[in-house]
Amino acid sequence: MRRSGLDVAVGVFLLIGLLALGWLSVRLGRVELLGNPGYSVIADFPSVGGLKPGSSIEIAGVEIGRVDGISLHDFQARVVMTIKPHVKLQEDAIASIKTRGLIGEKYIKINPGGSEKLIKPNGKITEVEPPVDIEELISKYVFGKV
Amino acid sequence: MIGSRMIGAFVACLVVLSAVVAHAGLPTDQLKGAIERVVKTLDNPALKGEAKVAERRSAVRKIANDIFDFSEIARRSLGRHWAARSEAEQREFVMLFGDLLERAYISKIDTYGGEKIVYTGERAEGDIAVVTTKIISKNGTEVPIDYRMLRKGSDRWLVYDVNIEGVSLVSNYRTQFNKIIQTSSYAELVKKMKTKQGELSLDDDKQGKPRTQ
Repeated sequence: MRRSGLDVAVGVFLLIGLLALGWLSVRLGRVELLGNPGYSVIADFPSVGGLKPGSSIEIAGVEIGRVDGISLHDFQARVVMTIKPHVKLQEDAIASIKTRGLIGEKYIKINPGGSEKLIKPNGKITEVEPPVDIEELISKYVFGKV
Repeated sequence: MIGSRMIGAFVACLVVLSAVVAHAGLPTDQLKGAIERVVKTLDNPALKGEAKVAERRSAVRKIANDIFDFSEIARRSLGRHWAARSEAEQREFVMLFGDLLERAYISKIDTYGGEKIVYTGERAEGDIAVVTTKIISKNGTEVPIDYRMLRKGSDRWLVYDVNIEGVSLVSNYRTQFNKIIQTSSYAELVKKMKTKQGELSLDDDKQGKPRTQ
């Protein structure tokens, strides 16, 4: 009888451990268990150089969504993003791909616009800025002169 | 009878085709026309030399007013602070900003020295079109410049943003204006723009150049 009490205690402890591990992996892996809350919008960039699904989307440094997927569309990079439901984007909002620090990860910064028209779910951000390719710029102005 | 009908159908096809072709290139055509007029003005021997600076600049400015939508550029640059302004303030801002842009960039255009301009493509979607161009300098450096254009009326396209090396003019000014308005106030921004306007015209005076206005 005492033996089985210990077994139950070990079992419960193990279960709690497993649950904690599961919670940790969901948190760290940023997995949305119940689907992504929010609406999706697309944007076509001439280049996305280094942006990945899961990259964050920010306004004023605050995360307002994530990149869902990137695909090639008419030789441009089409980025599908999920924006949190309470954040409304104006039609003339500008999406720019920025680098955190000098060589850090890429993210999308949204510069909110002033238009009264809002981008509807599954709509498109037309104003975009591709990432500035620093290497290309350097090579252009270093080796450009013949 | 059949022959003439076929010729008629052929002519109709040609007309439709040419209309489609002409329509696809309208933004490029209009931009190209304006840029060619600017180049012609700068190359015009009657307008060359230091003495003709004012005349030359006002000619360029006139062409710029035809192809650039300065009120749209100003509205987009002010972003979400635009709607909070009164109509008089908006008018004043458009004037100040247009002046600032012209003073900052028309003097640059003056340094044009026969660089080649290539039109590399056009993408239109609804009322918005992007015309991609490249400026090739004499030593072979290529600078990509994209013009974003908005349809006004049935077939008039006006530039509302310029992207140089992927950096947008509107985005650049929107960030700056937003910073100034949030850290101080809109009045402060107007004050800054007015001092800048004074400085730039002072520069013109110092260089012995007559003011453009």
